[in-house]
Amino acid sequence: MDNLRRSASSEEARWLGDEEGELQRDELLSALDQIYLAQPAARVEAALEKTALTLEAESGRMLYYDEADAPLVGKLFLALSSAGLYALTFGGSEAAFLERLERSGRRTVIRDPGRVRPVAEKIQRYLAGVLSSIDVPVDMSGMTDFQRKVLGAVRGVPRGEYVTYGELAQRIGRPRAARAVGRALGSNPIPIVIPCHRVLAADGSLGGYSGRGGVRTKRALLHLEGAL
Amino acid sequence: MTTNTASNKPDFAQLVDQFGREIFAYLFRQLAGAVETEDCLQETFLRAFRAYHRIKPDSNYRAWLYAIATNVARTHFRQRQRQGAHERPLENRDQAEGSEPAKIVESKLELARVRRAVQSLPEKQRTALILRKYQELSYAEIGEVIACSPDSARANVYQALRSLRSVLDVEGMEVGNG
Repeated sequence: MDNLRRSASSEEARWLGDEEGELQRDELLSALDQIYLAQPAARVEAALEKTALTLEAESGRMLYYDEADAPLVGKLFLALSSAGLYALTFGGSEAAFLERLERSGRRTVIRDPGRVRPVAEKIQRYLAGVLSSIDVPVDMSGMTDFQRKVLGAVRGVPRGEYVTYGELAQRIGRPRAARAVGRALGSNPIPIVIPCHRVLAADGSLGGYSGRGGVRTKRALLHLEGAL
Repeated sequence: MTTNTASNKPDFAQLVDQFGREIFAYLFRQLAGAVETEDCLQETFLRAFRAYHRIKPDSNYRAWLYAIATNVARTHFRQRQRQGAHERPLENRDQAEGSEPAKIVESKLELARVRRAVQSLPEKQRTALILRKYQELSYAEIGEVIACSPDSARANVYQALRSLRSVLDVEGMEVGNG
């Protein structure tokens, strides 16, 4: 190294950044400048615009997931899109969760604890009774229109209260669709955060719950919320 | 675009704003102004975006992006070599000094020779030279990009100059014949 340093002419030493000072004219160095200094301003802006669009599209396809342990339900798997919480499951395996995400198509799935942690912590604290609500944005883009309608209405049921399947069917303007409502609740991709556990049978019994632990988990959640 | 407040990393869009222009300039230089520069810029930021969750919050994002751009340019070179395509230099780049026609012709010949000589440098040397002199990266950053020590990065820049001088000295006899 020292030999190389010593053997650089002082002109080259300045060019290399070893010495301070103005560069003198040197044919090779000025030829390099002519080759490399020119830049096409118009092409840069167009390229950046196109890149931004590509990233925007890619961002819409991304899902970030991780796992967390939570009171009442045990191990959770969560997936976030750029719009919000996209999927949540508890009691299942990571492989099953990933398979489900991949089935949603058009998604690049990446494990990203840093991004998922704040959402996971809110859910953990809610289930531990520390928080009284789970304030996270939800991405319902993977749902059918009917699911979106039903689960959107469920989000309007406050903590500590519950509705029946029939009442919910009425709320969405489909009073005869109680069964279809039940099916939409059963396939809720974001349980707990979209509180399908707050929907009970007409006779006041708990009805069903598709999450792990079934009705036992449903009862525990309602108990936590003071509804029972 | 997404926000990334949880991990103390800048929003990825910020990286595009901050470094997009210089990465374009770099790719433009590496690819000698080829029309694929735009595609390579997109590819660079797409690869970076997909890998962004793996990079640590206190990393040198600039050097990281240059490393990805260097890989993208390399892949592009190899594809082009396989396809046997010719280099497509950008027009209007040879700004000759002086106005006498003979001088302009001479200057263009010189530039063409230098350009050929630069393209025939070993990849590491050419990359180090561009990064140091035209992208103004530190030797430490160049080391990150081409995976070597700062001293070795400097040696690559130095060797690039040496090689260019020796090639051009040897060729010097043939200037008149183009």
